Amino acid sequence: MPRALVVDSYLIDDAESVIARVRAGDPAALEVLYRSFETPVYNVARRICRTVEDAEDVLQETFLEVYRSIGQYRGDGSLWGWVRQVAASKALMRLRRNKYRDTDELHDEVHAFRKEDTPLRMDLEAALERLPEVSRAVVWLHDVEGYTHEEIAAMMGKTPSFSKSQLARAHVKLRRWLGEEAVA
Amino acid sequence: MHLRMDQLLALRDAGSEPGSAEARQHVAQCDECAAELERLHQRVARMRALPALRPSRDRFAEVAERVRGERRQARLRRLGVGALALAASLVLFVIGRDVLTPGVARASDQLTATMAESAALEQALQALRPDQRVTDAYTARVAASLEDRIADLDRRLSAAQATATGATETELLSLWRERVGLMDALVDVHVTRAEQVGL
Repeated sequence: MPRALVVDSYLIDDAESVIARVRAGDPAALEVLYRSFETPVYNVARRICRTVEDAEDVLQETFLEVYRSIGQYRGDGSLWGWVRQVAASKALMRLRRNKYRDTDELHDEVHAFRKEDTPLRMDLEAALERLPEVSRAVVWLHDVEGYTHEEIAAMMGKTPSFSKSQLARAHVKLRRWLGEEAVA
Repeated sequence: MHLRMDQLLALRDAGSEPGSAEARQHVAQCDECAAELERLHQRVARMRALPALRPSRDRFAEVAERVRGERRQARLRRLGVGALALAASLVLFVIGRDVLTPGVARASDQLTATMAESAALEQALQALRPDQRVTDAYTARVAASLEDRIADLDRRLSAAQATATGATETELLSLWRERVGLMDALVDVHVTRAEQVGL
């Protein structure tokens, strides 16, 4: 599965040594990890969270968790994959905590009802931003980060069917908002 | 009858979903669905090509500070002085409550006075030059515990002052009073130690 952000431990000089030093509690090593993954972690967080503040909090919480849990990283997958998993989980946790989903879906349904026939054409960033949080999280994690529906379902505490349905709904909306609907 | 979005997605992702053979056959024969599938591919390609969003400010200092705090707490737990720290915090709470009576002054005046008191205690602490003194392990542990709590409080103060909505003066006053209580105790620890060794 192609990845949008190919960021891996090969970007860190002597990654194994850095990981060992983080495990030993060396703050300088943690900074090396932070500098290497700061942007991709923030990007994942920001694509999922509603606000910049939430995304920045997720960024901070992610590296704290990395520091606490680096012992659990066995080196059998990419380091970025592991860090990204932490970031995505933290961002989804933030989403659940803020209880945005229900209000968003309600807002979205009302909005859709009122504006169904209004032609819309917005850029992709704006259209993604307009999606309800959960739909946006699913579309980003699946289509951009390359997670499977099973993986997304596990992170969200939902079923794969839920993930698939959120993805389909997101694409229907994106297609409409981007003005990509076929002319009948 | 054209394919639904979920069918197009299933076709794109794995092609092994039930009914995908029929869907594939349909796309091969239907220009509209083929175009829709192509638009889906294009849309995803555009999403993947979006520039990465970057944080507006460097948060590593905060991460490092919290890591240091956690390590210090872990050290304290290992040393078995958690109970001591808890007792100290309870004493400080009582001291802070008694010493800092609210009075009838306006909250902003009280806030100014409390901040000045905190600054005075900072100066008193610097005058004692605790970093340059030989300190026994017990004093060092109590002082470290207080310093941790002050650092944590400073973070909360910083967040409260920086927040867009703005903390109320009463909330800020409460935090500053807590800081004065902790600073007072920290100065007391070092003064007592200095008196004991005749410095």
